[in-house]
Amino acid sequence: MDHARKIDGADGGAGGAADGPRAPDGCAGGVGRRDFLAGVLKLAGGAFVIVAGGAGLASTGEAAAKPGEGYDWNEHRYAYLVDTEKCIGCGSCVRACRAENDVPDDFYRTWVERYVVGLDGSKVDSPRGGIDGFPPEQTAFTPTKAFFVPKICNHCTETPCIQVCPVGASYRTRDGVVLVDGERCIGCGYCVQACPYGSRFLSPRTHTAEKCTWCYHRITKGLKPACVEVCPTGTRQFGDLRRADDPVRLAIERERVQILQPHLLTEPNCYYLHLDKEVR
Amino acid sequence: MEHARHVFRAALVLAVATAVVFLGRSLLVPRSYGDYGPYRADNVAEQARVRAPRHGGPASCAGCHAKQAEVRAAGSHKTVSCEVCHAPLAVHVDGTAVKGKMPVDRSFTLCARCHRRIAGRPEKFKQVVLEQHVQGPLESGACLECHDPHSPKL
Amino acid sequence: MPEITGFAFPNDVHVHWSLMIVMYPYITGFVAGSFIVTSLYHLFGREEFKPVARLAMATSFCFMLVASLPLQLHLGHPERGWYVMVTPHFTSAMAGFGLLYGGYLVVVALEVWFVWRRQIIESARRSRGVKRAFYMALALGTYDTSPEALEIDHRMVRLFAGIGLPGACMLHGYVGFIFGAIKANPWWSTPLMPVIFLASAAVSGIALLTILYQVVSKLRHVAIEARCVASMARWLWFFLIITITLELLEIIMLSYENSEPWHIISQLLTTRLEFSFITMQMIIGGLIPLILLAIVVMMDRYLHERVRNTLSVISAVLLLLQVFSMRWNVVIGGQLLSKSLRGLRSPYTPELFDREGVLVALALFAAPFVLLWIFDRVLPIYPEAEDAPQQAPGHEGEAPTRGAMTV
Repeated sequence: MDHARKIDGADGGAGGAADGPRAPDGCAGGVGRRDFLAGVLKLAGGAFVIVAGGAGLASTGEAAAKPGEGYDWNEHRYAYLVDTEKCIGCGSCVRACRAENDVPDDFYRTWVERYVVGLDGSKVDSPRGGIDGFPPEQTAFTPTKAFFVPKICNHCTETPCIQVCPVGASYRTRDGVVLVDGERCIGCGYCVQACPYGSRFLSPRTHTAEKCTWCYHRITKGLKPACVEVCPTGTRQFGDLRRADDPVRLAIERERVQILQPHLLTEPNCYYLHLDKEVR
Repeated sequence: MEHARHVFRAALVLAVATAVVFLGRSLLVPRSYGDYGPYRADNVAEQARVRAPRHGGPASCAGCHAKQAEVRAAGSHKTVSCEVCHAPLAVHVDGTAVKGKMPVDRSFTLCARCHRRIAGRPEKFKQVVLEQHVQGPLESGACLECHDPHSPKL
Repeated sequence: MPEITGFAFPNDVHVHWSLMIVMYPYITGFVAGSFIVTSLYHLFGREEFKPVARLAMATSFCFMLVASLPLQLHLGHPERGWYVMVTPHFTSAMAGFGLLYGGYLVVVALEVWFVWRRQIIESARRSRGVKRAFYMALALGTYDTSPEALEIDHRMVRLFAGIGLPGACMLHGYVGFIFGAIKANPWWSTPLMPVIFLASAAVSGIALLTILYQVVSKLRHVAIEARCVASMARWLWFFLIITITLELLEIIMLSYENSEPWHIISQLLTTRLEFSFITMQMIIGGLIPLILLAIVVMMDRYLHERVRNTLSVISAVLLLLQVFSMRWNVVIGGQLLSKSLRGLRSPYTPELFDREGVLVALALFAAPFVLLWIFDRVLPIYPEAEDAPQQAPGHEGEAPTRGAMTV
């Protein structure tokens, strides 16, 4: 620290020792407090104008968001019902879903699990999701009961998956369907980790998150999801809670129904009848 | 505060950079984002249009294949959609025009998928131990020798 | 296809969060830990850390520059990574990344600027041509190196250290939160997770600086200050005790409560994670450094300098491995167990040449040292080193700081 520099500092900082560069001298004394404040206020004003304008433009998208002509999502609230006593484990649902939605191999938007339970143990399997049905099963213990449990995305009301999406790619529609915006998804995989039911996966084709959509492209046209359409035993049912005479609604209202992993309070909209304690 | 000039200069640079970032951000937010929540609202309609439905249900087959539809509706396979054993409607039909042959699977594995006796199926569901049920070798067409797939009950 | 023991949900068998997601908390751990070391001097005024303070700050900065790369490499759509900044969904901890990362980067950059401002101005005065223009721009056109200005710099450094320390803690704490808040995964879901991550980040940062300080001092042919080494060892030991206590506490709680997940977690730890958890994280990486550092700290006055230095470095190296194992066990371990709680998949081995593979991970670990070397060329870390003779740059990045003479 030499005195020459100190004196130079007092006259406005313009230049240092004789052999050093001279500071480019705009206004005398560079940027002081007043100029700084003025600069910031001008910036803030400009910013405010632009942001306000942008916000104004954004709010004109009202009508476009609803799924389509003749369909009002406010009129529907969907739910799904699975009666595990009826399931025969044929896997037709898994095949239909794969065909309907181009699901990649080794990934599943829906699958069927088989439980073989005895007093001394239990065994669960789901060979390729049940897509080719199930082979005969040998167990080390003596089974006393066995049943099939179809699984899909539960389209929860309190989703852990939407909660963790960092970019707002995952969302819930007004008619109760949880969807993933394939254009917005960055493929981070957080939602896949957050789903307690294993319903989600990262597609090796699109590198985004995918899952059961309750065949949104079908239900908005009044059709049923593909899995419900083909189920030969009536195990899978799809309903609309806003319709007074809907059988799914009546079942949920009147019968003893269960949900998966209730302790997590995800409020699934996929209900089960005759679910056993072994099922998670 | 002469000696603090560099601090204000740094603060100004920071303010400019922050303003640029925030301005840039607001210009890059998608148009329909935030309309109904923290997501791109346009996507809802996109998902509803993502593809044409591929399964038609039995009613869609009955239009051209009325005879099989009647046989099926009167038999014990009346709850089994045509598309379970064949293929989705979209494989065969595009609108009203035929675009490809509907696969016909005559193998026993197709029937076995539902009717082979395994643990887990409800007791009153018709299932058999195939090796005992079928006389002769288990090969393609074995079930069809006795059963009409559209109305299989003997 | 991986092998499954027991039953796993069909979608659960894929490990989506790969080695890159192990590297990310590892690297941000160094950022936070190094910042803790530099704050011990700049904020808390512990003089014994002076020899290592600027090195620690530069290290924190250089690791920070690399920190977002593992995430980018991991994304299914890296070109959309910036969406997190544009439409952050703030219920997600990951959305905080944009603000925390950007904010902390600004804080560290500013602190670096204030600490090195005098060297920038001196370099501006000493150089010609493009270099001079560069340093002039870096100095923001002000050339005040008077004692008053330097005193203001000193206060600003303390201010930014005061902001930066909680910032660094949040930058790494939120990573722990990302895991800890996932109720779907019982191996991750615990309120202890952010604290464990933070404590082990401190361990990794101090361990790294322990090694770096000794290596750099050797390269500069400068004496290693015993007080600095002893202090770092003390703090390292302290944070190690906290880390191991918390990590063990988590296991003990799970085992005591014996709830549904413990059955599969205990299988996970004893089968799939036997080597990485029990052998590496707990014994080689935990117990042994704990003992070695205990010797260094408790027997400080009886130790010869060489012994102290050597034991510190050995402990630090083992601890770098321990922290990596801990990240691995959390990230990969959590994905080996299925959410059905009935099955485990076969262990995950990263590819060698993959975008998310081993070579990339090694490159990511080496890159900050390269950046550190570049940093030192531009902003000398030890500017008073006039008598450092010419020497070839030693290993991975640690250059002799020829400082003010080179430009």
